[in-house]
Amino acid sequence: MERPVKTYTRRGWWHNRLSRLGLSWRRLRENIQSLLSHPLGLTGVILVAIFGSMVLAHPILMATVWPPRLYDPILGFDSTVMPHPTPPSWRHLLGTDGMGRDVLSQLLAGARTSFSVGFLSAIVAVTISTLVGGIAGYYDGALDAALMGIADVFVLLPAPVVLLVFGLLLRMEWPVVAVAYGVLAGLGTQAIVVKSHTLTIKAKPFIEAAIIAGGGKGHVIHRHILPGLLPLTIVHAVFTVVGAVLTESLLAFFSRTSYYLSWGMMIWVGQQTFRLFTIEGQWHAIASPAIAIMLFCSAFYLIGRALDDVINPRLRRR
Amino acid sequence: MTKFILRRIVRGLTALFLFQSLLFALIYALPYDFSAFIIGGGPTLRQLIQRQLGLDQSFAEQYFGWLWDFLRLDLGESFLYWPTPVSTVIFNRLPRTLLLFLPAVVIAYLLGIWLGKVIAWHRGGVLEFGVTLVAIASYTSFAPWLAFLIVNIFGWHLGWLPYRRLVDHNIWFNAPVTVDWLLSHLVATAVLAGGAVLLVWRITHRHVRPGPARWALRLGTVALSSATAWAWWVQSGMGYLAQDVLSHLTLPLLTVVLLSFGETMMMMRTSMLETMSEDYVLMARAKGLPEKRIRDHHAARNAILPVITRLALNLPFVLVGSLVIELVFQWHAMGKVIFDAIEWQDIPVLMGILSVVGMLAVLAHVVLDILYVYLDPRLRYVERGA
Repeated sequence: MERPVKTYTRRGWWHNRLSRLGLSWRRLRENIQSLLSHPLGLTGVILVAIFGSMVLAHPILMATVWPPRLYDPILGFDSTVMPHPTPPSWRHLLGTDGMGRDVLSQLLAGARTSFSVGFLSAIVAVTISTLVGGIAGYYDGALDAALMGIADVFVLLPAPVVLLVFGLLLRMEWPVVAVAYGVLAGLGTQAIVVKSHTLTIKAKPFIEAAIIAGGGKGHVIHRHILPGLLPLTIVHAVFTVVGAVLTESLLAFFSRTSYYLSWGMMIWVGQQTFRLFTIEGQWHAIASPAIAIMLFCSAFYLIGRALDDVINPRLRRR
Repeated sequence: MTKFILRRIVRGLTALFLFQSLLFALIYALPYDFSAFIIGGGPTLRQLIQRQLGLDQSFAEQYFGWLWDFLRLDLGESFLYWPTPVSTVIFNRLPRTLLLFLPAVVIAYLLGIWLGKVIAWHRGGVLEFGVTLVAIASYTSFAPWLAFLIVNIFGWHLGWLPYRRLVDHNIWFNAPVTVDWLLSHLVATAVLAGGAVLLVWRITHRHVRPGPARWALRLGTVALSSATAWAWWVQSGMGYLAQDVLSHLTLPLLTVVLLSFGETMMMMRTSMLETMSEDYVLMARAKGLPEKRIRDHHAARNAILPVITRLALNLPFVLVGSLVIELVFQWHAMGKVIFDAIEWQDIPVLMGILSVVGMLAVLAHVVLDILYVYLDPRLRYVERGA
């Protein structure tokens, strides 16, 4: 029984860890730099930064300039301007909705929901797809067949329709929507793509070299396969954010979720009172969240495409 | 090869079986009861309805009954439109969805492929930046909002086109035919005319030298086939009805195209960039071929394959993806059927549509996999080795 060769140097485990960290940090910095030099990527990053600052700005504004009685995104009501919805004014920069609430305040608060939904479902999707696809790719045989059987089924499920049906079953809070979307996205196409990518990595010579050098299964997976999957994983995560936010908005728009604050819900509330007024009277209540959804999803989509350009070696400029 | 095909078919059937089971379990878990929708009548009537619809059977009875019926391609009867069979409900509405979405998908793919080709060729320029921004903005825009905008601008303010429903009731008053008759004939006309144009396009591509003669032939065919179609509709005396349907079709079509061409474009761009670094493109350039020829005949021809594959895989989902657009434009087709089925617990219809979509999707996957192995000798080698 031969023992696996220890790979770290005589200077010790901690030094090894730190230098590795430094290496990966340098690679990360290079990637970020090339992302920022990509015009589309830069646009996306700027947009995401704006939305991020919106999330941060809301509690600060609520604590300083906006009295909660008037500007609370859910319970606020301004009785000095009537009738609601009112068009944009200096008092309410984006106007008020049909229930007398400030649209800008809702917009800022809704950004938090969108980020939460997007990130949660991205984490769920990527974890599942890496686990399922990676395991199916690394181990042959029955396990592979079983996992791919599951993936084959989930490819067939259209996420919005399934979630609409689920909406009947239970009034979903945003974490439920996010996790459900993540599972549907991660188990389907993503798992299959990760599996095929794992197969191509497994066939590379450096894996063979690592095994010959005495690396165990854990070592090979941890040191060689997972880092190889990382770029793909990041791209998948970014696109999952787009899909999750769009799907969540759609569900909220059809009022299939429970009543929490999100951009889709704002549009739903806006169009509830829409028939009573002309478009000039309340375009702001629908347009602002709709444009916010578009910009948010565009930003992540742009970042995803730019990352694909930066990370995917076949797309790099020669 | 035979072994591979058999294995692939078995895998597809397994997936279909698991899909059906999952679907059944999911919908069985719904805590609602269709008979609760009957107002008045009391518990006896409810029990009667439950017995008639088979809702009082045990889980196993319902499950195996459903599987057995599905094997016989019998989707059961709709609850809401009892006793109309589900297949009738689906096939009644199918031409409407196809009329809207087949042209939309085709236009979106052609537009996306062309734009993707161009922006990949001009990589890094202002053109790429602008086109990508516009395409991504329209791809990620919230579907009800985009539809709402288009309705407001073109339908409401400018008043160019109708934006509600399939037809105008005033025009259709006392019409000699039904809408569905007209729709199926419209689809048939489009398929025939498009097929003729496509055929001539291929034939001239093979047998006629490039130049004005070829284009004259092609444009002549386009003119001839559209003139024939137009003449047929005029002489049939139903041209005004067809015109009404087509004018109602325009705005939803525009919306669907705007919502979907961006993804194709980005896919084509990626695929194109991958092919552009191949050696045969360098070779073509070294031979001194004109740029346009290299782009269209050497790079794009090879880059198009994954995009078309994606199209084939996505087509079945057109039937369910249409939901939002159909609701906003009150286009009463498959999306409306699905939404009503969800709203009114019309479980057989919901299951029927989803399982038909699943069946078509499995079919597309299996056929494509087999086709790929058949067309690509490298894959065949891998399959034999495995």
